[in-house]
Amino acid sequence: MNKEELTPHVEELKRVLEEKVTEKELMDELDKYVNEYGVDMESAKRAIRRKFGGEESGFVTGNAVSKKIGDLAGNEPNVDITARVVYVEKKQIRARGEDKTIISGILGDDTGTASFTIWSDSYDLEKGSVYIFKNAYIKTWNDRIQVNMGSRGVVEKSDATIDLPERTISYTSVESKIGDLKEGMGNVSVTGRILSVEERNVNVRGEDKIVYSGLMADDTGKVQFSAWNDHNLKEGETILITNAYIRGWKGIPQLNIGDRSEVSRVDDPFGSADLDMSSNKTLREVSESGGGLDITVSGLVVDLRGGSGLIFRCPQCNRSVLGGECTNHGKIDPVHDLRMKIVLDDGSGAIGAVLNRELTEKLTGVTLENAVSLSKARGESGIIAREIAPKILMKRLVLRGNVMSDEYGPMMIVSEADTEEVDIEKAATKLLDVVEGTL
Amino acid sequence: MNARETAWRVFAGELNSSSLEIKSEEEKSPSYLVTPLGAKLNRILIAGVLLDKENTGTEEEPMWRGRIQDVSGNFFINVGRFQPNAAASMADIEAPSYVAVVGKVRTYTADDGRVFVTVRPETVTNIDERTRNLWVLEAAQSTWDRLVRMKDALRVQNAGRQDLVNKGFSQEDADGIISALEHYGIPESSKYLKLVQNSLRMLLPDRNIDLGLPEDIADAPDEIVLGEDTGKGKEFLLSLLEAMDMGELGVSMDVILKKAAENGMSPEEVEEASDALMDDGLAYEPKVGFLKAI
Repeated sequence: MNKEELTPHVEELKRVLEEKVTEKELMDELDKYVNEYGVDMESAKRAIRRKFGGEESGFVTGNAVSKKIGDLAGNEPNVDITARVVYVEKKQIRARGEDKTIISGILGDDTGTASFTIWSDSYDLEKGSVYIFKNAYIKTWNDRIQVNMGSRGVVEKSDATIDLPERTISYTSVESKIGDLKEGMGNVSVTGRILSVEERNVNVRGEDKIVYSGLMADDTGKVQFSAWNDHNLKEGETILITNAYIRGWKGIPQLNIGDRSEVSRVDDPFGSADLDMSSNKTLREVSESGGGLDITVSGLVVDLRGGSGLIFRCPQCNRSVLGGECTNHGKIDPVHDLRMKIVLDDGSGAIGAVLNRELTEKLTGVTLENAVSLSKARGESGIIAREIAPKILMKRLVLRGNVMSDEYGPMMIVSEADTEEVDIEKAATKLLDVVEGTL
Repeated sequence: MNARETAWRVFAGELNSSSLEIKSEEEKSPSYLVTPLGAKLNRILIAGVLLDKENTGTEEEPMWRGRIQDVSGNFFINVGRFQPNAAASMADIEAPSYVAVVGKVRTYTADDGRVFVTVRPETVTNIDERTRNLWVLEAAQSTWDRLVRMKDALRVQNAGRQDLVNKGFSQEDADGIISALEHYGIPESSKYLKLVQNSLRMLLPDRNIDLGLPEDIADAPDEIVLGEDTGKGKEFLLSLLEAMDMGELGVSMDVILKKAAENGMSPEEVEEASDALMDDGLAYEPKVGFLKAI
């Protein structure tokens, strides 16, 4: 698209952004999105509106309204908030290839608290002082309200006195069991036993760092941790970590022990219990948390998905391939493999699960050898999935493995699988007892 | 992240009593059928005896219909042409046999406002009696859990969704229960208890189970009769054809469907009855869209 074609769109953006950005800047931006990156016009304009602080509904900027923190809905494009700074820190981030310092922390008033981010380094806010945050835009992240100060935002000292309810002033860590940790949680305290720890060298934004990472567990589950300072962690000891924060990798929560975190040795409350074991969860719990390590679930197999049965893999990268061609290695001589992609459902929730050759053979009795010869005899490989389906559908399975999430929802990479035998008579008697006891 | 819709274990008795559909305003969002006990169904898992099956399509493009009976009534399944796996299974499975079906709930509203519920299978599996019993157990447990949740919800005075969430109900449950109460009112608990009782009697035949329910509650008269009892449908249709005969062309299907709906017959039933009449040589189609008695 040439400049002339872009001009009306630039004009539109200029109106929306209230001429905060120069026409030339807008033209360059739009040109980059549309011509350089091939983004469609609508998405490009939306992106630019967002980038320069004009929210999605930026057509209705107008004057800012004043709101209390407790009244924020989470999508306001332009509000003024008078609040006390409960906690503040400056952070280095890397945005669009540039190092940038931002200010973030927690705001509080008599109605609640919210985290805030000022996307610049131009203020020195004091913890405990009251400020008016003008022209803030509000977002919601992980069900938490976030106050953002973009290019339009202004922070001014205020004479107002703000009384915070006692509980918010202290800004204390929230205690959590490992099984309840969710991606995006900040400021949690966790007690757990270290199952393993190792030292790794990593490169963070051009800087060599040592990170101490491993697994820790309590009686509700296991989690991977990364400590960014040396706390002299030892396998087998039980520690209390305060001010940890949780990031996620594909839905699996990861506990970060950062600069603000404190680590102390505590008496082991778990006794002689072996914590290196899998935690049982319902599928509703698993779908809600989105992922986790070493989880055990049970349910009925309600679907056998495409990509199950006899498949072919690239001998070099092990990726599954179609038609003897690997996206990375071109024409190859594929190797056979057997797998199942199932959906397990316990009536409370449902997740996908992938079972490898060994487990597929064990559960269905169809071996790779049978599968290869059958597919050769029939001249097609699709027959195997049709052979397997009646052998696995409606079977009750217990699966153990790690669960991660992608755009298709949670999925378990299964390490152990067994059919589950339910004593129907016993379970029915139990239900009868409950029913009779209640009536 | 879009989690997959859970397959609810629900008895025909509860499913067929449902008439509240919640259609999402947003594109591509699922729609739900809310049961009187507050389950928000999109996908269900059912099991029972496949009573009969019929291919209403062609050999190349089969459209299977079937009726599955559980301890409380019949489920009606309709396999469309876009469910090749389910269609292939239907071709292989002979009635009667135990089957399990995972599928999406579909509704059809007749002119008189009655709602008929059918199931569009994603998978149809031949199962053994044990697996059927396991399903009955899970469905009984889940029906009981819903009854208990409903009872707990009714204890909260003038509860709204948020009140229930504050009391520890999940958003989904709170939503389903409030929607159900608004639409159906307080459920007749003995009707659903009876489903649980019937299941337990089946699973524990040696125990003389008596939950003290009035025995006169009909054992779920099958209200949805898509294609069931074609005898009655045939009789009705034949009398209609005779009474409304307009001469050479007989009666137009539009008129038949309207009259049939007034008498509580769904288009599926009409179709079934008219097919049966034609098979019997009692009626024919003088022209597409018309039916005439011989």
